[in-house]
Amino acid sequence: MPKKALWLIIIFTVLFIIGINTGDLDYLLNLGNTICLSCIGVG
Amino acid sequence: MVSFRWLVQTLMALGTNAYLLFPFGSVIYQGPLKAVCHPGLNCYSCPAALLSCPVGAVQNFIGSLRLWSPGQWPHLGLMVLGYLGFIGAVVGRLPCGWICPFGFIQDLLYKIPVRKFNLWQPLRYGKYVVLVVFVVLMPFFLIDAVGLGQPWFCKLICPSGTLLGAIPLIFLKPGLWVTVGFYFWNKVTILAVILVSAALISRPFCRVLCPLGAFYGLFSRNTLVHLEFIEGNCVNCESCVRYCPTGVKPYLDQGSRECIMCLKCLDACRFRALDFSIRRPLPEPESQSQGPSWLGKK
Repeated sequence: MPKKALWLIIIFTVLFIIGINTGDLDYLLNLGNTICLSCIGVG
Repeated sequence: MVSFRWLVQTLMALGTNAYLLFPFGSVIYQGPLKAVCHPGLNCYSCPAALLSCPVGAVQNFIGSLRLWSPGQWPHLGLMVLGYLGFIGAVVGRLPCGWICPFGFIQDLLYKIPVRKFNLWQPLRYGKYVVLVVFVVLMPFFLIDAVGLGQPWFCKLICPSGTLLGAIPLIFLKPGLWVTVGFYFWNKVTILAVILVSAALISRPFCRVLCPLGAFYGLFSRNTLVHLEFIEGNCVNCESCVRYCPTGVKPYLDQGSRECIMCLKCLDACRFRALDFSIRRPLPEPESQSQGPSWLGKK
């Protein structure tokens, strides 16, 4: 298997795990539960 | 393969927009799945959307960085970055070709039997400008009085948000009409231009403006799985080029950042000159494995 791809997969997996453990999940859940006024173009 | 891809695209578009209770309860889905990002561009304000939009999430994380105060862990958005980077490192732009609902809509529009045109190639660099300027720089630097940045890509450009989020919500919540102004009509105009051009040019948004495709494309030359070109089988018939929705020439540009891995070229090639496989590591340089060339081969 290619080394570069494997290293990238490992690095991004670590980032994902750090993100989950530092509260990104709650932040995203909170964000997704509100209507995005910018997306509608009225905010 | 082509009909299988249509099936996957249909199932993904419907499956990730499967919340049908929006006319009766809250206008958008507010369950736990909203903590998960869609691998494609799918507005989280779409009344039927079950997942969050990765591009919207990244902008919101960047936009809130200035609100960080000492003693508090900053929300850097590493979860979303890791998620998107993982997908990019494994399959590159494959979600664009198979999963993204807005890509699917463009594929459907391109079926309309009208005269087709080629994309002016320099335009494809536009998506990198959109990624850097609208998704990263503007949300970070243009902040309001509180210190909060706005998701400028969503606000100014995103046609997926207009089609799947804004237009349905405006009709579901008539009170929003009062606040409609420049930003809304600007987005409706961009959407109209993209939808019309999608009937004439294959995947114009993905090729010119999509920041998510630009991000996934950064990994194209190093993905775990890739489109392998088998030079010995190629007869230069260019059948693959005629079928490619993004105008890639696989025999010239292997690991192209434009390739959305729809695998149409695999179907088109009757000589098996292309294969979808796990990338093999590059062979060791001859000088390392067999000693310096001036010593002669072992």
